Amino acid sequence: MSRRSLRLLCVMSVAALLLAPQLLGGTYYIFLLIIIFIFSIAAIGLNILGGHGGQFSLGHAALMAMGAYVSTIVSQALFSLPFFAASGLHVWIGLIVGTTVGAATGAALAYPALRVRGPYLAMVTVAFGWVVWKILQEWVSVTGGDLGIASIPKPQIGAWVLDTRHFYYIVLLLFIVSLGLQHWLMSSPIGLRIRAVKHSEIGLASVGVNVYRLKVWMFIISAAFAGCAGALFAIQQNYISPDNFQFFSSVFLLLAILFGGPGTFLGPVVGIAILTLLPEFLHDFDRYRLIVYGGFILVTLYFLPRGVMGPIESRLRPGVAPRSGCVVPVSGRLGIAGLAVKLEQISLNFGGLKALSRVDISLASGEVHAVIGPNGAGKTTLVNVLTGFYQPSEGRVLIDGQPRALTSLHASARLGLARTFQTIKLFGDMSVLDHVVIGLPAGYENPADEADGLIDFVGLSAFRDSPASSLAYGHRRLLEIARALATRPRLLLLDEPAAGLVQEEIAKLIDLIHTLRHSGITILLIEHHMDLVMAVSNRITVLNYGNVIARGTPTDIQGNAQVVEAYLGPSHVHA
Amino acid sequence: MQFFLQVALSGIATGAIYGLIAVGYSLTFMTTKVLNFALGMWVMIGGMLTYSLIARMGLSPILALPVVMVSLFVLGVVAERVSVYPFLRAGSDVWVMSTLAVGLLFIDFAELIWGRSPTPVPSYVGSEPLRIGPIVMLPQQILILGTAILLFLLLEYFYRRTLLGKAFRAVAHSAETASLMGINSRLIQLTSYAVAASLAGLAGFMVVPLTLAEPQLGTVLGLKAFAIAIIAGLGAPGGILLSGLAYGALEGLISGYLNTGLRDILGFSLMILVLFIRPEGLFSKVQAERA
Repeated sequence: MSRRSLRLLCVMSVAALLLAPQLLGGTYYIFLLIIIFIFSIAAIGLNILGGHGGQFSLGHAALMAMGAYVSTIVSQALFSLPFFAASGLHVWIGLIVGTTVGAATGAALAYPALRVRGPYLAMVTVAFGWVVWKILQEWVSVTGGDLGIASIPKPQIGAWVLDTRHFYYIVLLLFIVSLGLQHWLMSSPIGLRIRAVKHSEIGLASVGVNVYRLKVWMFIISAAFAGCAGALFAIQQNYISPDNFQFFSSVFLLLAILFGGPGTFLGPVVGIAILTLLPEFLHDFDRYRLIVYGGFILVTLYFLPRGVMGPIESRLRPGVAPRSGCVVPVSGRLGIAGLAVKLEQISLNFGGLKALSRVDISLASGEVHAVIGPNGAGKTTLVNVLTGFYQPSEGRVLIDGQPRALTSLHASARLGLARTFQTIKLFGDMSVLDHVVIGLPAGYENPADEADGLIDFVGLSAFRDSPASSLAYGHRRLLEIARALATRPRLLLLDEPAAGLVQEEIAKLIDLIHTLRHSGITILLIEHHMDLVMAVSNRITVLNYGNVIARGTPTDIQGNAQVVEAYLGPSHVHA
Repeated sequence: MQFFLQVALSGIATGAIYGLIAVGYSLTFMTTKVLNFALGMWVMIGGMLTYSLIARMGLSPILALPVVMVSLFVLGVVAERVSVYPFLRAGSDVWVMSTLAVGLLFIDFAELIWGRSPTPVPSYVGSEPLRIGPIVMLPQQILILGTAILLFLLLEYFYRRTLLGKAFRAVAHSAETASLMGINSRLIQLTSYAVAASLAGLAGFMVVPLTLAEPQLGTVLGLKAFAIAIIAGLGAPGGILLSGLAYGALEGLISGYLNTGLRDILGFSLMILVLFIRPEGLFSKVQAERA
């Protein structure tokens, strides 16, 4: 479908929704639409967090409850003042405060909860939902306990009290704004990160993103949507009680997203619409509610893993064609001031195992320095110390002469240390272009052009718009290098870049490292493949059992008896 | 002092139930990194089955227990095959939702079969309260406590001393490597899920004489057991028992001295606090993150 017909479809749907109160006879249908919109707002929020970002929450009903109760309490309190009662502002202030408190609650939950991932996060949110539900029941003086709060102030503008028909337009407006916000957020650079965090947190941290903070913000944004939806729900229903916000309401929201299509634009809306209308048509639904939901979940997971909208939207998405002639060549980019890094007496123990003991290595600015050694020699551990995964138990790291504490991967990346991984950490089905764009520092007028240059440099231009998951193994390694280079690093750490590559690809990799060397960047190469090491390195350090056993130029190392022994065993030395 | 001991000890007995369930989370987590999200619902099924066997069919508890445990074992095998294994292979977290879905089905089916109203199940060891010094305990509470301790001793023995237990731990470490060593990883994954289900059945069997048999029985139990498993650390079965008992004692004290409503609020908040300070749990060894 072309962009124009898509836009036409949008305009027509909005027009239909605007006319709906006139077209639909009874208030019953308007009421249904309002409920669908309200829950869609909450589902859109959950979709940003869970669908796009992969952080599933089963506590969103509790966040809705915060919005509902706080907005109600605020608006009831203000209503007693004549100024507010006359202006109708109490309801709208309640709505804003409810949304804000929803977001703040999200923050209070996210800080501790996001210390854990995936299923644990989901379970913690379940517990949170339960705590809130329990507080609503127990704190009778404020929440009315099980009886809830009745006679919630009606929406009002000035002295004019809105009826269902008018309130419909308010909800419709907020619903469209929510969809717009989702679209805007997900097309922004932040949206790219949100999609990436779902696939590989480590990969995302390696381009300098503080993943924990990103996830907390995702949670806060998501909670704001839930708070707003809760406040609207309270106004619409005119009565709220803890039962409205049980655990199963959270399940309902999550189910709607899974069914509609996690990480799609319209998925949450489609999911909510179908799951809201379903009970209306099913006779005796309440008796079989959980069977229907449970069955729905299983069927969706088996047969519609991308939901209803997943396959539809990926067919509609127009690809962005590369503009020819805009490629910024990388090979000519000279004068990077490569970092000089000095590791002094670095030791690291895992329990009784000395992974590194008193290792001294110094990387001069602009050199290619290879670290080789048999398996288990401590090579990757060394990279992990430099990129903040491990804190050395002794010793220090000097970067350009300054001692630095490397505390996290993203902090290292921000200091100009970029890395690739022995086990590849790419972002699933995101495109090759997205992988590189995500690494670029802010401030490029045309990020795509800059990225195209890097993609061209590693030789992946033909796959620019392909999902990374479809790339051949060797190409994935190259993509990791392109992503690392996008961060404009001054030190590039390549952790076994040749592993799994065929001869031809290795030859290309050698060319690539040669080109990079001329740019001035410092390269630390961890590698087993000796042809590659000997061809590109200025200097080599050999590790065995966590100790440096030799260092020197490639020629020095080739003739070193100790190195041969470490690799092949003592009997080969004199053979 | 007497009141203190009384509420603490009653709490500990309840805590033993939480511990029994919590160990089920750790069993599956250790082998597959999968949690049965609806384990509480499995406890409920175990409890309802017990009710049918004992209160309706008049079976003696000694006979009813193996029937309950075997039934849940078989059910566990089926559920693993249907709701976990297909998604395990895809390497996604989708099983969070699929195991939950199975739990939702359980609740409604239980309501259709047994109805919604809570029904009592007589204690297996009499209901005459026992006096231990100044403290009064129900025999059923002591039975539960004994069962929990026995089970944990067995588990520790199993994990540390038996070959099969070592195979379990090998699979926990790396299913792939274990396979290469000739261990049938798949079988162990399946078994761990079924054993966890079976233990949930045991917990259900033990708890119904104290609570009542009803389809809503499991939700909160499962959630609290999860909180305990998280507080202790999922990789530490021994720590889970201790945490379960401690959590139970704390609950007893909070309801005894403050009020019942605060009990669960404080309990879950404690879990969130532990997560914040020690995400890996109190008893688990820190596992270094690897790149």
